[in-house]
Amino acid sequence: MIFIMAWRNIWRNKMRSIVIILSIAIGLFAGIAVLALYKGMMKSRVRAVIDAEVGHLQLHNRHFKKDFEPAFVIPGGVAVLKSITAMAGVKSAAPRSITNGMLATTTGSAGVQINGIVPHLEYATSQLKNKIIEGKPFDTAKQNEVMIGKKLATKMKVKTRSKLVLTFTDTSGNIVSAAFKVAAIYQSDNAPLDERNVYVTMTDLNALLSIGNAFHEIAVLLNNDNEVKNMLQQLQNKFPVCQVESWQEISPETDLLVKTTDQYSYIIMVIIMFALAFGIINTMLMAILERTREIGMMMALGTSKIKIFNLVLLETFFLTLAGTPAGLLVGWLLTGYYTKHGLDLSGMGRDMMSSFGFNTMIYPEFPWDKLTGILLIVFCTAILSCLFPAIKALQLKPVDALRN
Amino acid sequence: MNTVIDAHNISKVYNPTTIPVYAVNNVHLHLQKGEFTALVGPSGSGKTTLLNMIGGLDRPDEGNIFINGIDITKLSANELISFRLQNIGFVFQSFNLIPVLTAKENVEFIMQLQKASKQQREERVKTLFAQIGLQDKLNERPSRLSGGQQQRVAVARALASRPQFVLADEPTANLDTKSAFNLLDIMARLNREENITFLFSTHDQRVIDRARRVITLVDGRIVQDTAEVSTQHEEAAAVKT
Repeated sequence: MIFIMAWRNIWRNKMRSIVIILSIAIGLFAGIAVLALYKGMMKSRVRAVIDAEVGHLQLHNRHFKKDFEPAFVIPGGVAVLKSITAMAGVKSAAPRSITNGMLATTTGSAGVQINGIVPHLEYATSQLKNKIIEGKPFDTAKQNEVMIGKKLATKMKVKTRSKLVLTFTDTSGNIVSAAFKVAAIYQSDNAPLDERNVYVTMTDLNALLSIGNAFHEIAVLLNNDNEVKNMLQQLQNKFPVCQVESWQEISPETDLLVKTTDQYSYIIMVIIMFALAFGIINTMLMAILERTREIGMMMALGTSKIKIFNLVLLETFFLTLAGTPAGLLVGWLLTGYYTKHGLDLSGMGRDMMSSFGFNTMIYPEFPWDKLTGILLIVFCTAILSCLFPAIKALQLKPVDALRN
Repeated sequence: MNTVIDAHNISKVYNPTTIPVYAVNNVHLHLQKGEFTALVGPSGSGKTTLLNMIGGLDRPDEGNIFINGIDITKLSANELISFRLQNIGFVFQSFNLIPVLTAKENVEFIMQLQKASKQQREERVKTLFAQIGLQDKLNERPSRLSGGQQQRVAVARALASRPQFVLADEPTANLDTKSAFNLLDIMARLNREENITFLFSTHDQRVIDRARRVITLVDGRIVQDTAEVSTQHEEAAAVKT
């Protein structure tokens, strides 16, 4: 009977109940939307790190990453590269010669990382070609061409065909300078990376570094994200002289971002629900105050306090139960739409988004993996919100309530 | 006859620390099983306060109230809730039916609190609604019943738990004459045929005329207690039934 009473009670004031049901639905939808957006952003960020920045795995000389000394090339690099390329599960592998140096133009100078690449291998591994927004990819017939990021180009006031000078030290410690012509300006989803990295051909850089056909880094792209651990182990066993690292080790900030975003999204969900809790408290408190006499009468007739408490709890539960499917449905439908068509955040500014390493086109994903957690938060909110009104109801004295 | 209600020296004082006002002042009251008693007096004489204390809804500041030998002034709040459920039936002035339940559900509700089986509930509801003459209104919500019909359902609800006695606070105050007489007929018949004890607070002459015993309260004190007041109305009703 308490179930029947609770259900019918919530429809005594239809408008008020509909408003609170809608609030619950909207609150739940908002929470799902935030989680879906975060999930989409994180997935996009991880994809950018893997597909366009570091690859799934990287190999270096064990001493190279200590201070980027150009002498520490990968021992037997060409053979290692050939062997990796032939391994099952490897989509592509790109060698890179790397050194830190100075970029100078007529207007100023900036510290940069100079990456010597084999264009066709690099294009296949980091999609560098697809990031070009101005100019043309490297022309293998030409010498001393450089590709620089948009942010750096703007800062240094250079355009395509502009000349600039790269200065760095070779393996013998001699300072080497060479003039390069800007072949292309590229823009990725990671502005800080664009500002720091310039690309030249490996042939040009190796000649200046005097390292022959050696190189410092091999970036490996796999066919399957889930194979990273397995492949890492295989490469470590196969090339014990090399330092083999996964993308999580190379880009720990991304890994940390993914892990902490899960926690942030739950915090946002709790904040939304906290606001919603006041709506529920208000509604239930009104419902109790309006029924003071009725509750007093029920107590007078012999209804136990636990039954009165259960009545208030059930009413809140039913309100929540009515709002939850609506919130889930709207969340699922809208997320589904944007998962398919993408959510264009370019209105927020591409530069702003890329300064945090994010693409402006986000593909949100319904957070199925967090659904239990979401529902738990919603129902805990409902139960906690009804405690105060329920306690108020229990504090009523039948004789006073009947006099009401 | 068995003593159902035995109240000794009970008093209820408001503002005890400033200007004490005695709502009930040193009242002794004994009610036997099967009595049909009216508690009368002017407004503010303490009728409702006395009824609330006997019903375990309020506590006296002094004295003891024994219901079937149990001192209810010594019971905790939770024990009182359970005691009321098992022993006392209430009929209120403004009916106080639960608006979201049907007439049948209102009566069943009390029996469900007593954990009666579905079959027991069905049988009891059938009997009670036959007694109050509302068999055709079982599934109506209170809002679709007249005041008299609602009060008859309230009487059925009060009797549903098979209480030791029924306390009725101004039961006819909100009823027209026809409904009031109808209700009084039902209660008198239940009293006579099923030996149910009724104690009314009232200043309605129609109820006073039907009572077999009239207790008059003035300023919280019993000034008159007339047992077995028989009226022409009651005799006429007895002949009718």
